[in-house]
Amino acid sequence: MANLTTTLDQATTPSQGDAMAIAQTRVTEDWLAVWIGLFVFALSLALLFGIDLLGWAITTSIWTMPSKALGPASKHFANLPAPLSLAATYFFLLVVLLVGAKALRADLKRFAAAFTAIFIVSYACWFLGSWAYIAATPDKRPALKIAWSLNLTNESGFIIALLAGLVVGNFLPGVARALKEAVRPELYIKTAVVILGGFLGIAALEQRQLATSVIFRGICAIIEAYLIYWPIVYFISRRYFGFSREWAAPLASGISICGVSAAIATGSAIRARPIVPIMVSSLVVIFSVIELMVLPFAAQHFLYGQPMVAGAWMGLAVKTDGAAVASGAITDALIRAKALAATGVVYQAGWIMGVSATVKVFIDVFIGVWAFILAWIWSAKIERRPGEKIRVVEIWQRFPKFILGYVATFLIVLAIGIAVPGLIPKVKASMAQANLFRSIFFLMTFFAIGVLSNFRKLWQEGIAKLAAVYVLCLFGYIIWVGLLISWLFFHGVLPPILKG
Amino acid sequence: MTEPRIAEELEKMESEYEPLLPVERKLIWYTFSTGVVLLAIFVLISRWFV
Repeated sequence: MANLTTTLDQATTPSQGDAMAIAQTRVTEDWLAVWIGLFVFALSLALLFGIDLLGWAITTSIWTMPSKALGPASKHFANLPAPLSLAATYFFLLVVLLVGAKALRADLKRFAAAFTAIFIVSYACWFLGSWAYIAATPDKRPALKIAWSLNLTNESGFIIALLAGLVVGNFLPGVARALKEAVRPELYIKTAVVILGGFLGIAALEQRQLATSVIFRGICAIIEAYLIYWPIVYFISRRYFGFSREWAAPLASGISICGVSAAIATGSAIRARPIVPIMVSSLVVIFSVIELMVLPFAAQHFLYGQPMVAGAWMGLAVKTDGAAVASGAITDALIRAKALAATGVVYQAGWIMGVSATVKVFIDVFIGVWAFILAWIWSAKIERRPGEKIRVVEIWQRFPKFILGYVATFLIVLAIGIAVPGLIPKVKASMAQANLFRSIFFLMTFFAIGVLSNFRKLWQEGIAKLAAVYVLCLFGYIIWVGLLISWLFFHGVLPPILKG
Repeated sequence: MTEPRIAEELEKMESEYEPLLPVERKLIWYTFSTGVVLLAIFVLISRWFV
């Protein structure tokens, strides 16, 4: 996925040079996420050799007494005071991300200051979201000695972070500008997805048949998404809204496939001017936020009996990597809480989010192929350019590289587990530590998405007609067809049941 | 080079409508019908074999 920070910053006055910058940053940020994710993953695997390199990382329990909420992840560091654990986590991430920021040629001082603010606010949101009256599920209430709770699990911290980000993005423009250097939701989510691969590898080890089935169904679902979504959205925007081909193709890709990256890849494939994918991308981000705030709750209400359908639905309907996987995480938490409260069934955590991530990752894999096909059709059939050849290498150039990190962590965990089954408990403990950092990257993604979503500014740009197509196609077609496809492929498929 | 605002772009599109070309119609129709056929095949495979 392309760099949203750049994309949205340029929403008002884009130019050719800006598009070049987006392309350059995109490659760098993609690879950077792979390296940061793999670095955290590798450190966590030191546990296999008896070395606890990440045990000092902060973890937050559901709390009624704030003083007892925080603590280090590992028992090896049980004597480490919570504030020190929190500070160590912050400094570790600061150093790692500063190295990354240097690679991105960011202003390091501004990045450090902005990252510090983002980390503090994001973790404060997580802390607040872990308050027992907000987070506790019914089975936890007796132990916590509380009579009621909102049953939102501690993933409600994600929603709180998003709301905090929206407040900053829409009402505190000065603060949003000051944070700009470190507001990089795509970097954070891609890093989180790389780490997530290892976590899902554990799930696949424990339930190999189910994992195979999920992967196969995920591939089927996304092929459908491309073939059934795209032509209808393209047709509607061309036929009923009068959009030119230059606008309709990136718009169809943005609404149908995977938002920002698809819009930019398509824009580049058909040689659209930079303003086109940039405006479409801006719209994609705004609507992703709306979907993120609505769909997980709708899924909890209507689909708690079909959790995997809900997970796939998030992957198919929510249109940025960050928002899709984040929606999957919230849906995972909400549905497990609802299923427990309503039926007493305890589903294993992570499977619903795993389906969302799997579907989203496969969608990303095919963006390059789809852009290649469109480039060929446009150059050979629609806007014939004599002598121009479309190179197959462009598929690789458009391939989102962070997926390689995701696949690598997934396969490494799978390979270790299959080769030495006795190591599975240790691998699990390793991934639990890496997962703490995944949660923090998620949190910062939510906050950053909120900061970037300046609704008023985009409206002033005159995007009403674009927004109308988006609303019609997304809420009138994509969401429902996505639900249908998810239902066809995933109904009756359940996550492993721990109790009930 | 300064590019036009989005509102101006959209106004311009209304006055210069590009009709759907036959090749675009083919693209829409072939893509969608392939999708529907594959949907049936994939659903059957996923229900029976996976």
